[in-house]
Amino acid sequence: MLEARALSKKYDEKYALNNLDLKVSAGEVYCLLGANGAGKTTTINLFLDFISPTSGEALVNGVNVADEPVATKRALAYIPENLVLYPNLTGVENLQFFAGLGGEKPAKPEVVQLLTEAGLQKEAFDRRVAKYSKGMRQKVGIAIAKAKNAEHLLLDEPTSGLDPQASNEFAQLLATLRENGVAILMATHDLFRARESGTHIGIMRAGELVHSIKSEDISLNELEKLYLDTMKSTVYA
Amino acid sequence: MLKLIIKKECLTALRDVRLQVSAVILLILMTTAVLVGKEGQKLIQEEREEAQAAMYDQWLDQGNKHPHSAAHFGQFAFKPKPVLSFLDVGLDTYTGVSIFLEAHKQNEVLFSGAQDSNGMSRFGELTVALVFQVFLPLLIVFLAFNVFTKEREDGTLKLVHAQGLPMRKLLMGKVWGTYLMVLLIYLPIVLLAYLMLDQQSANLDPGITTKFIALVVLYAVYFLVFVLFCVLVSSFAKSSGFSLLTLLGLWIVSCVILPKATTNLADKVYPTPSQFEFRKTIKDKVKNGIDGHNPSDVRLAALKQQVLDEYGASTIEELPVNWSGIAMQAGEEYTDQVYDQEFSRIEEIFKRQNKLSEWVAFVNPYLAARHLSMALAGTDFHHHVAFARAAENYRRFFVKKMNKDMELNHKPGVAYSDYNVGREFWGSIAPFDYQLPSTATILSVQWRNIAALVFWLVILLSIAYTYARKIPKL
Repeated sequence: MLEARALSKKYDEKYALNNLDLKVSAGEVYCLLGANGAGKTTTINLFLDFISPTSGEALVNGVNVADEPVATKRALAYIPENLVLYPNLTGVENLQFFAGLGGEKPAKPEVVQLLTEAGLQKEAFDRRVAKYSKGMRQKVGIAIAKAKNAEHLLLDEPTSGLDPQASNEFAQLLATLRENGVAILMATHDLFRARESGTHIGIMRAGELVHSIKSEDISLNELEKLYLDTMKSTVYA
Repeated sequence: MLKLIIKKECLTALRDVRLQVSAVILLILMTTAVLVGKEGQKLIQEEREEAQAAMYDQWLDQGNKHPHSAAHFGQFAFKPKPVLSFLDVGLDTYTGVSIFLEAHKQNEVLFSGAQDSNGMSRFGELTVALVFQVFLPLLIVFLAFNVFTKEREDGTLKLVHAQGLPMRKLLMGKVWGTYLMVLLIYLPIVLLAYLMLDQQSANLDPGITTKFIALVVLYAVYFLVFVLFCVLVSSFAKSSGFSLLTLLGLWIVSCVILPKATTNLADKVYPTPSQFEFRKTIKDKVKNGIDGHNPSDVRLAALKQQVLDEYGASTIEELPVNWSGIAMQAGEEYTDQVYDQEFSRIEEIFKRQNKLSEWVAFVNPYLAARHLSMALAGTDFHHHVAFARAAENYRRFFVKKMNKDMELNHKPGVAYSDYNVGREFWGSIAPFDYQLPSTATILSVQWRNIAALVFWLVILLSIAYTYARKIPKL
């Protein structure tokens, strides 16, 4: 389970994240919506120990990330918005390297299977990543995350740069992972994808979680209205 | 996991065309330096051995003459060209190659390479040591300046970190990966240099293998210090540009500015007297006595009285031994005292200058590597002094032997021109034979430089282990 308890991050005098309370249990997909600078990426960065909280706790399976940064990351997989790999290595080499860092040692057939499942074309496997498009890199990122077999998945706008088909395949992948009991926290701008794939939706504004709702309790139109209203109140705030 | 990071670092570097080109250029430079350097060393050593033998033959063939004339005829001592000087010429270019040994005075080692060189030699010779000490660290700068910053800028560091990899492991993986790349360039040159050590090398210096190994270890440590430093700077730098500028700046300071500044500082703090001043002091002291109140004629009169008393004679004609021989040896010994005193003073100044430079090595590891490299190659100041001392001991030995023969065998009343000795007597003086100092002697003299390198290694490793967790991930 992923849990944020009164989690805050302050830069100078400004809160990037203020007093966030959040829980994502096994088999749940929690989608964080919000404008740029709302605190979505900050939340993910705090769970990954990329930054230290000003106050509060980010917990992975009940363990404070700040206390056990390495152990908690072992239980997490992560796909950033703009996934950059090592350009001088091939897709296969990149996957083997990152999976190896996560403690896995997938053999070549397994690597091929992971990349195929992620939707990467076969002829690209042994090509250097320098020649990959953004979407192709993102697919390798998905394969890396899958290779880790983690109980938790952190996604920072993962469908950005993916074509509609790849985006749809990604949604199916999320569904599979959710069914397998993975707890997923996803930051996204994509209201449709959040409504489709998420079990819970949070709307953030200026570092605060303003709304937290179950997807089944809201239609896409209602979600869109709620989101826009929340954003408007930011403008007038 | 460490192996995985090392492998990735190597693969990335090996596939970088710019690094491939730089490495090939360095390898060509070093191979040329080794081959040309060894050929030069071999040729020079052969020439010196031939010259030494020819001079000794000249000594043997000087014909029948008075032993004191033979002491003035003199001999030459040629400094052996140390085997490992093909890797590091050190001060050899400036310290001269031969010394004329004669009665009454200590001459200087003359005919340095610098005297015969053109203006271009001011820019230094291409030697393996120059490449190892200056250019390979520059390659390390280019290999390592962005090992962290590029990953941070590209965003791969986030992904690496997110896999649950402790920063210390990542840091050490990058250190060993970069170091392995350096070794890939360094070890072929080591192998080539090792293959260059021939029979002549072993004859000239029985401890050559130990010195070679010590030299190899020295540079391996020096490169590791540079790799650690560069990777650490990259790990804390805010950008690749900042890291590169910082490292290039420090490279210029440590390899170019600081060594020159240290030499100038040492000369300012411990000024060396001019040659004129030095020679004049010796001349004055020989003439007026070491304390300035004991002129040579007074000393001679006192000695004469002492010898007469010893043999119970009232005139030198009554002496059973040759008075001139005794007087000359006494004069020789007094002059030796003056020379010893003055040379010791100069040596002390040089030693203090060197010591200051060695302390600065705790700030600049380049200096430690340079001092140690020259010492192990046999081309440093201590080796020069050791040779000059051996030559001086030999001079004293053969001049004393000439004087003793004169004292015992040149009977009073026999004219100078009537007492002669010949080839058999000249042959009783063995040729000058100089053995280079052992590795143990060199290392004991160089303890400060060894300590400075170890200090840098320990400090940098400690920082790497202690502060790795604080490396920024974004």
